Amino acid sequence: MTAPDAANGARRGEPLIHADGIWKVFGPHADRIVGTPDADLPRSELRAKTGCVAAVRNVSFDVWPGEVFVVMGLSGSGKSTLVRTLIRLIEPTAGTIQIDGRDVTGANQAALREMRRRTVSMVFQHFGLLAHRRVIENVAFGLEIQGVAKTERLAKAREMLRLVGLEDVENSFPDQLSGGMQQRVGVARAFVANPAVMLYDEPFSALDPLIRRDMQDEVMRLQRETGKTMVFITHDLPEALRLGDRIAIMRDGRIVQLGTGEELVGSPADDYVENFVRDVPRSHVLTLRWIMRAPAEGEHADGPRLPVGTTVKDAVPVLAASEQPVVAVDGDDQMLGLVDRVSVLKAIAGEGG
Amino acid sequence: MSVATDVTTVTPVLSHRPWWQGKIVQVAVVVGVMVLVYRAFGLEYSWPRSLEWNGLSAHLDSFQSWLLDQRSAEDRSVVFAVFDGFATFVDDLVTWLTDAILWLTWLGAAATGTLVVLRFGGLRAAAIVLAAFVSFAALGVWEASMATLALMLAAVGLSLLVGVPLGILAGRSDRFQQAISPVLDAMQIVPAFAYLMPVVILFSVGPAAAVVSTMIYAVPPAVRITSLGIRGVSVNTVEAAASMGSTRRQLLGKVQLPLARRMLLLGVNQTILFALSMVVIAGLIGGGGLGAVVTSGLYSNPALAILAGFAIVIMAMALDRATEAIANRTDPSQRHLDDTGRQRVRLQTLASATAGVAIVAAAKIAGVSGIYPDETGGGTSVTAQQWLLAQIQKALDYVQDPTSFAFGVTEPTGNFLLTKALLPLQEFLVGTPWFVTVGGLTLIAFLISGLRPAVTTLLMLVSIGVAGVWPLAMDTLSQVLVATVLAVAVGVTLGVLAAESQAVSNVLRPVNDVLQTLPQLVYIIPFIYLMPVSIVPGVIAGVLYAFPVVTRLVERGVRDVAPEAVEAAGAFGATRRQILTKVKVPLAGDAIMLGVNQGIVMVLAVVVIGGLVGSGGLGYEVAQGLVRGQFGQGVIASLAILALGIALDRVTQGSRQARKKGIG
Repeated sequence: MTAPDAANGARRGEPLIHADGIWKVFGPHADRIVGTPDADLPRSELRAKTGCVAAVRNVSFDVWPGEVFVVMGLSGSGKSTLVRTLIRLIEPTAGTIQIDGRDVTGANQAALREMRRRTVSMVFQHFGLLAHRRVIENVAFGLEIQGVAKTERLAKAREMLRLVGLEDVENSFPDQLSGGMQQRVGVARAFVANPAVMLYDEPFSALDPLIRRDMQDEVMRLQRETGKTMVFITHDLPEALRLGDRIAIMRDGRIVQLGTGEELVGSPADDYVENFVRDVPRSHVLTLRWIMRAPAEGEHADGPRLPVGTTVKDAVPVLAASEQPVVAVDGDDQMLGLVDRVSVLKAIAGEGG
Repeated sequence: MSVATDVTTVTPVLSHRPWWQGKIVQVAVVVGVMVLVYRAFGLEYSWPRSLEWNGLSAHLDSFQSWLLDQRSAEDRSVVFAVFDGFATFVDDLVTWLTDAILWLTWLGAAATGTLVVLRFGGLRAAAIVLAAFVSFAALGVWEASMATLALMLAAVGLSLLVGVPLGILAGRSDRFQQAISPVLDAMQIVPAFAYLMPVVILFSVGPAAAVVSTMIYAVPPAVRITSLGIRGVSVNTVEAAASMGSTRRQLLGKVQLPLARRMLLLGVNQTILFALSMVVIAGLIGGGGLGAVVTSGLYSNPALAILAGFAIVIMAMALDRATEAIANRTDPSQRHLDDTGRQRVRLQTLASATAGVAIVAAAKIAGVSGIYPDETGGGTSVTAQQWLLAQIQKALDYVQDPTSFAFGVTEPTGNFLLTKALLPLQEFLVGTPWFVTVGGLTLIAFLISGLRPAVTTLLMLVSIGVAGVWPLAMDTLSQVLVATVLAVAVGVTLGVLAAESQAVSNVLRPVNDVLQTLPQLVYIIPFIYLMPVSIVPGVIAGVLYAFPVVTRLVERGVRDVAPEAVEAAGAFGATRRQILTKVKVPLAGDAIMLGVNQGIVMVLAVVVIGGLVGSGGLGYEVAQGLVRGQFGQGVIASLAILALGIALDRVTQGSRQARKKGIG
C-alpha cells in the first residue's frame, strides 16, 4: 500500500525551513569533492583517496510551520553537523538553505547574526551555559547581545524561567544545578528571543533516563503551548518516535528514510532502518490510518467510531468489544476507512497493512 | 561533532623497540668514531685561520661608531628617531613610576601594596606581601627594591600590552597561532646574554634597554598563556553564544575573556616571574635597582650582592603568591557571588581604598620619607643590614676556609668536576679536528631529529667557525654538555621517583617552584663562593636551573603512560621494577627527550651568564663586551651563543611526532 502522508493536513503555506542538496565535507580542498565521482565513494575510500571526510552528503528536506522534525542517526552519521549547517555554525560545503523565506547560505554576516538572534534558537547537548554568569543572566544573554535594556531583558528572562519551572534558582550559577536543571536553563535561554524555529542537538543525551523522559514531556508541552517549529536531533529511536511528526534517519551522511514514525516502523526502506525499528512494539506506533481499508461494496459502516490517529494498541479493546469493524474518522467525524480484527492482527504480527 | 573521532583514535601499543633506543646506539657509534679520530689526530686540525672572517670584529666596531654618529647627527633618520623616542618613553615611564612609589612614602607604598593584595588576593597573600615590604626595609635595600619594582611594573605592563592582544589573536586564529609560534620559540631559546649587546646598541645603556631585554623574554609567556586561556574556553559555550547571534566582539568580551580570566591572570603571573628573572641581568645594562647591586657587588662586595639576591628572591615569591592568589580568588566562574556578596565586596573595596588614602595622607603629613631610612635622625641604625652583612660574610669566610668541613666537601667536588669532566671534554671538543666535530654533531642531529635540523645545525656550527670563535664555542659547549648530563641525570631520577611516589612529588613540587622562580644569576652567586673553581659555579647553576624542568616533564611523561598498558603488564605478573623499566620509562621516552631538549637550552642560558664570574667561553666575551665596551667582540660572541643555542635545540629536538606529542 502507499504510505499515507500524515502530516499533509498540518501543512499550510510555504515550508519554514527549506534545505536543498546540503553537503559538508571536512578536509583539504573539500570544495573540490562535491560534484565529482569521488563524492559517491564510501567514507573510508574517500578518506584514503582525498584525506577528506564527508559528514553530510546531499541532504534535502523541508520543515513545515509547527512541525516537529526529528533527525535520527548513530554517532558519526552526520546529524549534528547537519543541524549546525542550518544556521552556519558549520559552513555547508554545498547546497542552499532557506529559513522563513530568507536565504541562509548566501546571507552576509550581519544578516546571519540577525537570523540567529531573532528567528532560530538552538539547544545544545552539553548545555553551553556561561559558567561566570548567574542563571537569569544566562537566560537573558540572547537579549543582551541584541542590545535589549537590562530591566526589560531580566523581566523577560524571569518569565522564561517561570515557564520551565526554575524561578527559584535564578540567582544560582550553572554548576550549582543538576544536569536536567541546566538543560532547562538552556531551553529557557533558547526560548527567550521568541524564535520561530528551535533547533535541539541531542539535548537530553547527557541526562539520566528518568530525567530525559521528564524533559521530553516538557518539550512537548512547550511545543503545544507555543506552536514552535522544531528540528530535533537524537540517536534514541523511542525519543524520535515520541516527539517527531516526521523523522529522517541518517546514515553515513545521507538520509536513508524520511517519513512519519509509522512509516518507518510500518515500511522500513532498507535493512538498516529495519534493524533500527525491529524492536519497536508496532501496535504502539501504527495508527488506524496505517491499517484501515476502504469499505467493501455494500458494507455497512455502523461499528464504533475512532479518530484515525488512534494507535492500534488503543483500538484493540474497542474492536474486541465489537462485532463490527471500527470506523476510522477524521476531525469532522467523516469516515476515512474501516479497520477489522484481521488487519489489526496482521499489523501486530508485522506483515504491514 | 563525532565525525572525526574515529579517524585519530590509536590504541596505545607496546612497540618492541622505542624509536630512540636504536638511535642511542647509532649516536654512541658516532661519538666513538669522533673519540678515535681525536686520539689519532688530536690538536692537529684546529679551525683554519683561512676560514675565519678576520675583519668581522673591526667591521662591527666601525658599524657601531657609524651608528653612534648617525644617532647624534642633526638629521638622524626616522629609524633612529623611533628607537630614541621609544627609549625616552620607557626611561620616562620608569622614572615616573619610581617617583610615584617614592611619593607614596615608604609607609604608604607598603600599605598600598598590601591593601591591594588584601582586597583581591586575600589575607594570606597580603601577609606575604607585607612581609616582603618589611624585608626590603630590614635588609636596608628599600631604594633598590623600589627601583626594581618600578622597572618590573614598566616591563610587565609593556609586555602585557604587547603580549595579551597577540595572545587573543593567536587564541582565535589558528593561522596566526601557527605563524607566531616559531617566533615565540626563538625568543625563548635565545639566551638572554645573546641579545643584551644588540639591545644596548639600539637603545643604549639605561632603563629602556633593560625593559626591552626583559620584554623579549617576558612577552612569549604572555602570548602563549593568553592564547591557551582563550582556547581553553569550552567550545560548547562559544558555539552556543555564536548560535544566538553574537558578534565576534561580543563573543570575546562577554564569553571568551571572562571565562579565560583566570588563565589570563596566571599569564600575568608568569610574565612577572619571567620578567623578574631578567632583572639581575638587566642590572648589567643600566636597569639599576637590585640587579645593579648584585652585578656590581659580585666582586667588590659579595655579601651585599648576596643580600640583594635575597631581596630579589623575596620579591619574586611575593609577586608570585600575590598574583596567583588574585587569579584564583577573583575567578567569577568559581566564586559565586550573590547580591549580599557583591555588596560585601563593594564595601571591602571602599574600605581598602579609604585605608590606603588615609595611610598615605597621614604619612605625607607626618613627613615620612620616600625611602626607608638607614638610620634615625639620632644616628641609630633601623635596618638589620649591617648585622646581616656580617653574618653573610661569616658564612662566606667559613666556606672558603680550607680547614672547614664545607670546604672539604665542595673543593674536591668542584675539582673532580673540573679535572674529570669539564677539562677533558673541553680538550676533546677543541682538539678534535674541526671537520670531524662539525660532521659528527651534524650526523647526530640527523640521527635524532632528521634532515632539516641537521642542515640547520651544520649551518650554525660553520658560522661559529667563520666568526672566529670556534675554540670559545667548544669551551662553552663542553660546559653545557656536562651540566646537561648532570641536570638530566638528576631530573630523570627525581622525575621517575616523583611519578612513582606521591610523597616525593609533594616534597619536590615546592622546591621546583622556588628553583624556577629564582632569577638565573641568583643561582650562580652562592656557588662562586662554595666552589670557587672558575668554571664550576656556572655549570652547577645551570644544573640547578634546568633540572626542575626535566623533573617535571619526566614526571608528567611517566604518569601519563596509558594506564591500560601498565595494567596489562601487571596482569602478566610484572614486578613494579619491571613495569617501570620495561613499560613506563620506554613509553615516557618522548617526554624524557623533550626534557633533554628544554634542559640543554636552559643550561646554555645560565652557563653563558657564568662568563660574568670567570667561566670563560662565549659568555666571558659578552661580559667583556658589556663591561669594557668591546663591542665587536661582544656581538660576535652573542651571535655565536645564538647559533650554538639553535644548534643544540635542533640536535636534541627529536622527531616531529615526538615534538607534537610533547606539545599536546
